Amino acid sequence: MNYFLAQLVNGITLGGMYALIALGYTMVYGVLLMINFAHSEMFMSGAYIGLGTLLLLSNAGTQNAICKVLPFLSFFKSLRSFFTGSTVGLIIMFIIILAVSAVLVGCLGMLTERFAYRPLRHAPRLAPLISALGVSIFLQNAFLLWIAPNKPFNLPAVVAKAAIVDLSGKNLSLGITPLRIIIVATSVILLIVLDLFIARTRVGKAMRATSQDQDAAGLMGINVNSVIALTFFIGPALGGIAGVFSGAYYGTVTYNMGFMPGIKSFTAAVIGGIGNLRGAMLGGFMLGLIESLSQAYISASYKDVITFVILIVILIFRPGGLLGSSVVEKV
Amino acid sequence: MKKNHRIVFGVMAALLTLALILTGCGSGGGSGSTTKTFNVGFGGPITQGDVAFGQGGLRAVQLAIANANKSQEAKDLKIQFKVIQGDDQSLADVGTTVANQFVSDKSMVGAVAHFNSTVSIAASKVYHENNFVQISYGSTNPALTQQGFKNVFRTCATDDLQGPTGANRATALGFKSVALIDDSSPYGQGLVAAFKDQFVKNGGTVVYQASTQQKQNDFTAVVTKIASVKPDLVYFGGTYAPDTGAGALLCKQLKSGGVTVPMMGGDGLYAPEFISGAGATAAEGSYATCPGMPVELLPNGKQFAADYTAMFPGQQPAPFDAYAYDAANAIINATYSVAKDLGVNKVTSPAGKDALIKAVAASNFDGVTGKVSFDSKGDPNNKVITLYKVVNGKWEAQADK
Repeated sequence: MNYFLAQLVNGITLGGMYALIALGYTMVYGVLLMINFAHSEMFMSGAYIGLGTLLLLSNAGTQNAICKVLPFLSFFKSLRSFFTGSTVGLIIMFIIILAVSAVLVGCLGMLTERFAYRPLRHAPRLAPLISALGVSIFLQNAFLLWIAPNKPFNLPAVVAKAAIVDLSGKNLSLGITPLRIIIVATSVILLIVLDLFIARTRVGKAMRATSQDQDAAGLMGINVNSVIALTFFIGPALGGIAGVFSGAYYGTVTYNMGFMPGIKSFTAAVIGGIGNLRGAMLGGFMLGLIESLSQAYISASYKDVITFVILIVILIFRPGGLLGSSVVEKV
Repeated sequence: MKKNHRIVFGVMAALLTLALILTGCGSGGGSGSTTKTFNVGFGGPITQGDVAFGQGGLRAVQLAIANANKSQEAKDLKIQFKVIQGDDQSLADVGTTVANQFVSDKSMVGAVAHFNSTVSIAASKVYHENNFVQISYGSTNPALTQQGFKNVFRTCATDDLQGPTGANRATALGFKSVALIDDSSPYGQGLVAAFKDQFVKNGGTVVYQASTQQKQNDFTAVVTKIASVKPDLVYFGGTYAPDTGAGALLCKQLKSGGVTVPMMGGDGLYAPEFISGAGATAAEGSYATCPGMPVELLPNGKQFAADYTAMFPGQQPAPFDAYAYDAANAIINATYSVAKDLGVNKVTSPAGKDALIKAVAASNFDGVTGKVSFDSKGDPNNKVITLYKVVNGKWEAQADK
């Protein structure tokens, strides 16, 4: 039983990360009907930016060249010891890292949209797809050459330390760590906030309108360009947060780290019904659980085969995904 | 500092490529210099993949070439050597492209090529078709030299030795049960199979066996499984780097997943980057076998280490660097002997290529890894495997009991 629960915890954590990335795929698809293949690189950029912020804010980064040239270094020093010294400081630092990453990656997403997708908005649908692949390769190589192919990402010990859940004095050792709780909680909270934002606010309404018909939305006085730009801020920002989580959770960042999670999360978005936020979340958690449980009970070597066979079976019976409605193509 | 270094390196690489293209065009037209320059290819993961092994190997070949160019023998024969870099990125397809570039180079005498077994085996077909000397400095999968290719050599010992040695040492250390993991590469699977055979013969039991994928970063399900079967040892066949076998990540997740027993692996883990990638606390106590002896214990090793650090300040040679150095010298010595027999201008002719292969096969000199000579398959006659352990955050050689 413990073994099963521990594997559930593994799967839910993995699923939380997939869900966060899948939200980005699904948002962009919902508004533009375009698959943003550069999204996996938003995830990777988020991890690199998160690592950079960590090095800047923690004592681990004293050797860093950027820190040395900062004029307000002495102020930084006291700030750093606060961040690495106490649990509260660590939590605040982690929140700052997440925020910096989300904002910068969001901006990167907007830049990508402005320069790589907007000029192609009225081009045939394959053009922005190829453009997205180009952006993906460009970003991978930029980070590879600019920083390093891979770097260790070590959060200070307090955040990563294992909190063992005790029930009636017995050590269950399910491997529930603060970081895992943060990952799952963040993705669930962000989904709820996003869902409310799109359903209840004026901007959310504008987004829904744009997704239904861009031209009609423009005629109603909605600034389509800024709505799309906002979509390209939120989606990548979520990917960036997932990137920081992945870096902190696995303890490493790699220039091509986005590839596999990107494909899996895209799969998750499709399983859930692409374009549907709750579907992306459901798909993400499902995929994480399937992956972890198939490794636990069937075979670690065949986990990807099993995962994708299940995907195919789901799509055969529900071509629109679990929560998606199969929309008839309007001609 | 690191970032600046990268940028400078990038710009230099671009300039170098440009310079190579320009000189390549230029030398076709005008000759007339009496000294003949031969190229020696180096193929290994330089920008991506198992870069620690690729960059180290490249430095060693550069050192070997620099020493050769200063030698009296080269001056007498009016020969100079130049290194041509081929970045295979630990990928078989990229390695094959590198091999095609090498074999089409009319002044190349041979290549110190490829680190990863997958890459070496894929590229060896190209080298074989073109009758071109290939000496691998790090590919330990036995299959490489079992293809019957006369032109293929290696300076490092193979997995069929490394696996059993690892198993014998594990038994001697008192480990009775093992969980086996491989990274789905020919290297990792070969290593695990060889380890398993010997470990079972020694009376040990295999409690769990699984394969992970290349570039996998989530091992938590496998780790939880291992924690539940409670082996004495986790044996991992694979490499350390996160964009290949990700051994360092596995080690880190084993420790955070509550597996307290040590992890053992082959030469693919034996790099300082394994320790920094896993974190010093998680890596502590891990074992790795590696062909050859530690550089500092070898007769010629001290001089090699001193030259290496003098040429590349701040860098220490790793065992594979010593193999790359010996491989480069095997090619250099073969070039000398063919130049003496057939004349400098015939070295890269079809007859010269046959002679180069024969000369490498007949190698017999004191290298930095010991006596360098090859058996009929192209494997080294010098077969030593050393067990290393992470002690206080550093790899340390363990004496054989």
